[in-house]
Amino acid sequence: MFQDDELIQEFVVESSSHLAEVEGQLLQIEAAGADIDANLVNTVFRGIHSVKGAAGFLGLTVVNALAHSLENVLNMIRNRELIPTSPIVNAMLRAADQLRGLVDNVASSNSVDVSSFVNELEAIATSGASESESSGVEAELATVAHANDEVALLKDCDPTPEVVVAVPAPPPPISKKAPSPPAEKPAINQEPGNTQAKQARPADSFVRVNVALLDRLMNLAGELVLSRNQLLSAVSLGAKEGLENIASRVDQVTSELQETIMQTRMQPIGTIFSRFPRVVRDLSAKLGKECSLEIEGNEVEVDKTIVEAMGDPLTHLVRNSVDHGIERPEQRLANGKLVMGSIRLRAFHQAGKVCIRIEDDGGGMDPAKLKAKAVEKGLITGEQASMMTDGEALRLIFAPGFSTAATVTDVSGRGVGMDVVRTNIEQLGGTVDIESTLKQGSAVHITLPLTLAIIPSMIIGCAGERYAIPQSSIAELVRVPQADMEAKIGRVKGAEVLRLRGALLPLVRLDSALGLRTVDEYSERPKSANILVLETGQMRYGLLVDTLHDNEEIVVKPLGKHVKELGYLAGATILGDGYVALILDVVGIAMQCNLRNIESSVKAAISDEDAARADEVHRLLLFANHSTEQFAIPMAMVARIERIKARDVRVVGNQNLLIYRGNSLPLLRVEESISALPPEESLANLFVIVFRIADREVGLIAPILRDIRDIQMRMDSKTLREPGVPGATVIDGYTTRLLDLVELARARHPDWFVSERIVEAIEPEEMPTILLAEDSDFFRNHVQRTLESDGYKVVGAVDGQDAWDHLQTIFDDIDLIITDIEMPRMNGLELAKAVRSLAATSNLPIIALTSLASEDDQARGTQAGIDEYQVKMDPARLMDAVRRMLAKT
Amino acid sequence: MSTQKKTASGVVQYTTFYCDQSLLGLDISFVQEINRNLELTRVPLGHPCVRGVMNLRGEVVTMLDLRILMGLPKSPNTNRNRNLVLKCEGETFGLWVDGVADILTIDSQDITPAPSNLSLVESRLIRGVYQTENKLVMLVEPRELLAASLTGIRAAA
Repeated sequence: MFQDDELIQEFVVESSSHLAEVEGQLLQIEAAGADIDANLVNTVFRGIHSVKGAAGFLGLTVVNALAHSLENVLNMIRNRELIPTSPIVNAMLRAADQLRGLVDNVASSNSVDVSSFVNELEAIATSGASESESSGVEAELATVAHANDEVALLKDCDPTPEVVVAVPAPPPPISKKAPSPPAEKPAINQEPGNTQAKQARPADSFVRVNVALLDRLMNLAGELVLSRNQLLSAVSLGAKEGLENIASRVDQVTSELQETIMQTRMQPIGTIFSRFPRVVRDLSAKLGKECSLEIEGNEVEVDKTIVEAMGDPLTHLVRNSVDHGIERPEQRLANGKLVMGSIRLRAFHQAGKVCIRIEDDGGGMDPAKLKAKAVEKGLITGEQASMMTDGEALRLIFAPGFSTAATVTDVSGRGVGMDVVRTNIEQLGGTVDIESTLKQGSAVHITLPLTLAIIPSMIIGCAGERYAIPQSSIAELVRVPQADMEAKIGRVKGAEVLRLRGALLPLVRLDSALGLRTVDEYSERPKSANILVLETGQMRYGLLVDTLHDNEEIVVKPLGKHVKELGYLAGATILGDGYVALILDVVGIAMQCNLRNIESSVKAAISDEDAARADEVHRLLLFANHSTEQFAIPMAMVARIERIKARDVRVVGNQNLLIYRGNSLPLLRVEESISALPPEESLANLFVIVFRIADREVGLIAPILRDIRDIQMRMDSKTLREPGVPGATVIDGYTTRLLDLVELARARHPDWFVSERIVEAIEPEEMPTILLAEDSDFFRNHVQRTLESDGYKVVGAVDGQDAWDHLQTIFDDIDLIITDIEMPRMNGLELAKAVRSLAATSNLPIIALTSLASEDDQARGTQAGIDEYQVKMDPARLMDAVRRMLAKT
Repeated sequence: MSTQKKTASGVVQYTTFYCDQSLLGLDISFVQEINRNLELTRVPLGHPCVRGVMNLRGEVVTMLDLRILMGLPKSPNTNRNRNLVLKCEGETFGLWVDGVADILTIDSQDITPAPSNLSLVESRLIRGVYQTENKLVMLVEPRELLAASLTGIRAAA
């Protein structure tokens, strides 16, 4: 029915680009009001005019008629016969929308009825004309002028040197779920006016490419052909020497070609930003709010696929800002803000990525309310909510099924919004985060990769195959040596977990997740474990693989239909050696292993598990004196660590001293007090571990600092026992001796402790009896020894229940209770409560021993009736507390 | 060119190949190439008929095991194995066959309907049978082959 499809196609592309700009320009015209910017109006006029002209030429009568009416009104504005008020601009915007709809469905445009739009515009034109009747002559003159500059206008109407080329369908984004057509997505904006835009536009399969860029591509293709010819001739001649040059040339040309082709896919993000002034204007008018929109970074370029896919999520976020963010004018006034709310939309490059920020100065979000909502909706438990930080609470809005709108409006609040936004962005390989300050506003921060076609990835090996994992989802790499396996990799309710800096992380073995190995092959496990800590959105887990290879920039290749639907795959790539490596989908693997369930059970178990082990995990400072001997000191004992020059150590008498800060610090050496090898070489710089004993500061020389770690103490308290060494354990394959700094100091300087002895010696016969409840033999023995060495009588109990049993029979004899918190059968808190509940014992002082007590723990302890908390492995302070408490009674 | 012949006289060229002991034929216009590119990357958790994926000059192509598709156990590796690359309904895929034989030019009049004693799997895939002097060639319908392999996967998933 049309003369020439190609011509029509060209018309569609060109008109679409004109019309895309018209909207923003009309809004600017409205903003300027009576202060008409002739240039601006001219630009719009030119755009509409060329649409009209081409439509007439192609026989698109309806498009032509509508464009004509629009042009009439514009002409009057240009001639200042009409002031562009809001109603007028509204009518023009509606007409422009309709015009765009017609152009998008150009084939059926001639059968659309646009009379209402035309009539409306004509009514505006006539009213304008009647108002300016008095200036009829001027108008006539203007018409003549108009005729003149129409010619002029058509001249510079020539489009910028850009051509339109068809590009094949975009390469599939890394996630296989990504390229779902917009129509399938849960409709993010369902405004009636936008529905036309949702239909597939013919213009979408075209991209505008700068001619200069195309020329460059042509040049490069020529270069490539040239290099190929050279290569072929070199090969046929059997020449060896020239090959290297040719190869490097091919290499260079190919990379440049690739880069340039990638550039043709880059589009300014402004193409989607341009729709937002209208969105904000319409929506704020509808909601009776006043908002201004500030846009920055229109020129930032990103891959076409990303630009297209970001349209809906960004629209949703901007609408959210207007709907939920900005408060009503009266409320803003009450809060001492400007009536006009402000929304800022910014795009910028940062660290090889594109960032988009949407900020508003609205009401912000209340983390407490979000938590309450999430609990009410059953998304999280009350317990989880109480443990959440504000940041985590804010991120709840991205959880599926969460919507903050109290009532469902047609603007937002369908409960799919933010979840879909997050999913869309993550599918593009990006991330989204939110910050919000109550009463001050919110900011959504989006990070996107520049392109989807090439992704930096880590190549890993498992069961003889190689796989690629996108770098963007790798948080860190952890290597667990065989010696640590037992300590670091544990089980919680049947699921494996990795202990990482005190936190538990669900652990997935890639081989078993993918069924790569049979059971007997498991016996040949590698000696150490390579674990990738993967992070995507709300999930974080460890992936255990066999080997780690290189990082490679991989090109994503689509998979065939037969394997496409495997959830754990994101695609495939061809490695440098021609081998096909599958790209793993980090979320898919988690789903494969049902990780969400595991994760929640791990989370639930973490509290129990951590609590159960709390008394065994200690933060230890590891150091070596001689490089083959490792020592550990509980961090709780360490006041600070100093780095000193070896030459600053003075020897006075038989005592090492460090002169610093005007004071002298006595220094101990490990080899002076216990049987240990001296350092093998004299280092220029040393570390000194400073601790306090009986109100004096003492330093221990630690030539080589190794680490500070949370370690489960499973101490052997016999083999290497000597004064100063209460026990030993194996850490990283080293036999590590735990040092008791007090005993160490006492062995070397008994004189420092004399004053204490005198105090104690006053009442030697009536030394008090202490009930000591502690389930770990090591600690019980250690504390008991310490207490007994000061003359106290000690009754040991293996747990709370045991202590309670003792207490009921001999409560008259007990003067003080020292208890561990975490114990089987009856824990320290229960014991304390029981003690307080019994009249005969209710006044007994209770000291709790813990490894690391948080304030919360302490508060709970105090509530249960515990008088004081003391850190394990700090005998000096414990003794101090014991004396203090006994003095009180 | 084969399509030309088809229209002219109903004569079509068939690539013939082995699946276990049987000789099968495929319309040559669906066959993109035959090679010995049998280096595969295994696809864990994939359907049994998927032997793996391979690098076909920069494209990642799925390799299907013909024996599994025909309801037989997995093919052993021999040096007669070939990769038959097919293009059908826009999908390029490889077929792991137990060796290739001649190219036969067959007039559609000489094709007899598939015998009724074929198994259920086979009867869907076989469009007819052609008798040479000493051999029987079962002619496979590639579209059915593709559809069957995909439905097998969907059903499994």
